[in-house]
Amino acid sequence: METTLDLSTLNLAVVLPELTLIVFAILVMAADVFATPKNPAPRQWTPWIALAGVVAAAIVNLSVSGREVTLFQGAAILDKFAVGLNYIILLATGLGILLSVKYIPRINKQVGEYYALTLLTATGMMMMGAALDLITLFLALEIFSLALYILSGLNRTSPRSTEAAIKYFLLGAFSSAFFAYGGALIYAGTGTTQYYGIAQVTAAGLANTPLLYAGIALLVAGFGFKVSLVPFHSWTPDVYQGAPTPVTAFMSVGTKAAAFAAFFRVMLVALPFSYGAWSMPLALLAVITMAVGNFAALQQRSLKRMLAYSSIAHAGYILTALAGGAAEGADAALFYLFTYAFMNIGAFAVVMALEEMGAEDAMQDRAKGLGKTHPIMAFLMAIFMFGLSGMPPLAGFYGKVLLFEAAVAGGMIWLAIAAVAFTAVGAVYYLRVIANMYFADPVDESADEVNRSLPLDVGLAIAVAGTILVGVFPGFWMNAFQQSMALFGG
Amino acid sequence: MSLPEMSALFPTLQEVIFVLFALLIAVTSLIAAMAPNLFHNALGLVATLFGIAGIYFMLEAEFVGVSQILVYIGAIATLITFAIMLTRGMMFGRTSAMNRQGLAGAIISGLFFVVLLGIVFQVPWPNVVADITDGEALIANLGALFVSTYLLPFELLALLLLVALTGALLLARDR
Repeated sequence: METTLDLSTLNLAVVLPELTLIVFAILVMAADVFATPKNPAPRQWTPWIALAGVVAAAIVNLSVSGREVTLFQGAAILDKFAVGLNYIILLATGLGILLSVKYIPRINKQVGEYYALTLLTATGMMMMGAALDLITLFLALEIFSLALYILSGLNRTSPRSTEAAIKYFLLGAFSSAFFAYGGALIYAGTGTTQYYGIAQVTAAGLANTPLLYAGIALLVAGFGFKVSLVPFHSWTPDVYQGAPTPVTAFMSVGTKAAAFAAFFRVMLVALPFSYGAWSMPLALLAVITMAVGNFAALQQRSLKRMLAYSSIAHAGYILTALAGGAAEGADAALFYLFTYAFMNIGAFAVVMALEEMGAEDAMQDRAKGLGKTHPIMAFLMAIFMFGLSGMPPLAGFYGKVLLFEAAVAGGMIWLAIAAVAFTAVGAVYYLRVIANMYFADPVDESADEVNRSLPLDVGLAIAVAGTILVGVFPGFWMNAFQQSMALFGG
Repeated sequence: MSLPEMSALFPTLQEVIFVLFALLIAVTSLIAAMAPNLFHNALGLVATLFGIAGIYFMLEAEFVGVSQILVYIGAIATLITFAIMLTRGMMFGRTSAMNRQGLAGAIISGLFFVVLLGIVFQVPWPNVVADITDGEALIANLGALFVSTYLLPFELLALLLLVALTGALLLARDR
């Protein structure tokens, strides 16, 4: 077999948004080098360089949208789905950077490396959606996971942050092993790592079924860790609580979006012909995840832990669309993650403003009476809580409708009903925060300072605008995510 | 009993070597995971990696086997060993590798093993020997694939190393 290098397939448009981010990550590192104790200015530019990188990547993403091209005989693809995911990741990264500007220098002086790593994390996350080969997918997963292990341990003086990093690293490495094992077994069962190739082999009935199914099971476990499905969720509350809040905000949305995008693409593009084998297990996982996430969130005293369990519940909602197996499920998930980025990062931003110095967390008590002491903060938090609970006309509502519709389209009506029931349970803990803010008296008068800064305010404004506008005009935004995935043979 | 019938009772030399390597991997990986002294863990890991290299050689993937020895044993394991030897507490300390969840962990991994074993016996393994390209062409192909079909994963690997390097700086530099 002679392999020749065919430059005509080297279509760099596929990875152009990612390349843009990498260039800016290097610029951030270069700027950091010029900072000295006497002249720290270049170091203070790094967040703005990083932000410029995010904007530039978004513009590049816009310019490459509307095509459908694959790179190198199918290592990666640029389709509407990948472009849509890129927007979500860039949105989460941009908001994460805005939240970080004042926060990160307080806990770690090496801000240059922080922003470089943030951009590289985003690059890995974007590759997750573009991957069309299990090897590309695994490397993209490792890139963003490795960076996140480090970012969550950024606050080296805080035992909780260090614990979060070690826990995340150990369990993450463990899940990566599952992922790699699953990928290897799928390769053994089908003889290829490319999604289209796997679909071809399974469609023709040539796959070694026991190996393929074992591979699928392990792959699902690997994805389950990353998107925090129950029973693979145990790391989530500790890591979300211990990690610096801007990092938590960024990774809660970024990881979920990237891992779910890859999860949908693997299942719907590479393994649609094994649907019978994976739909019911995924539906059951979705039910357990929604149940544990929602009921555990009810009992949390810490706002960050509550949001962590809420994010587990949201992973369950999104999984219902995948269990349905319909192609519209991918569009629904993407749209939902888009709305989730605004609501969830907004909620974390408010928590960050409520945090006391060095505590890295805010308790439920802290929200009490906020409606009187800080009416604007309370109002914003109320919008995000309503949005997350799925209250119309905010963004979360329409997203949930689409998700559950996709489950019904796949013939899983019972699953959609269960999801609606758990949404009602979830409303309890979101509304409790609102009730605390408006109907309870402040617990501690001395602690009524909120840490606001201009970048944080801008981030909050974007988040609240998105939560309202996407909810009120869903059709306008939905266009970007319709019929997004380039399916096999489609 | 004729000679062919008798020879069927005895394992071939290849099978004997395989079983030896498999035993080596199983025992040393247990040491790597469970020995109370971190230095012994590291030595166990070195032996495990060596055993895996042996399996690669048996599969006639010499290049991968040599890379395994050079990279994992030659570089990574050496680095781990140095890191431990330079840290007094790690070198002579004794830490239990077990915690309260040891039993639950053993049960779950035992079940996982049983399931895997069930799959191994279910799989219709192909009964043919794949045609293996001779050594030199194999390596040439490997190189060509890295700059053609697998160019993107190859470049992503570089990015992964950059992330690891930056992360190490962030973690290890003085505050």
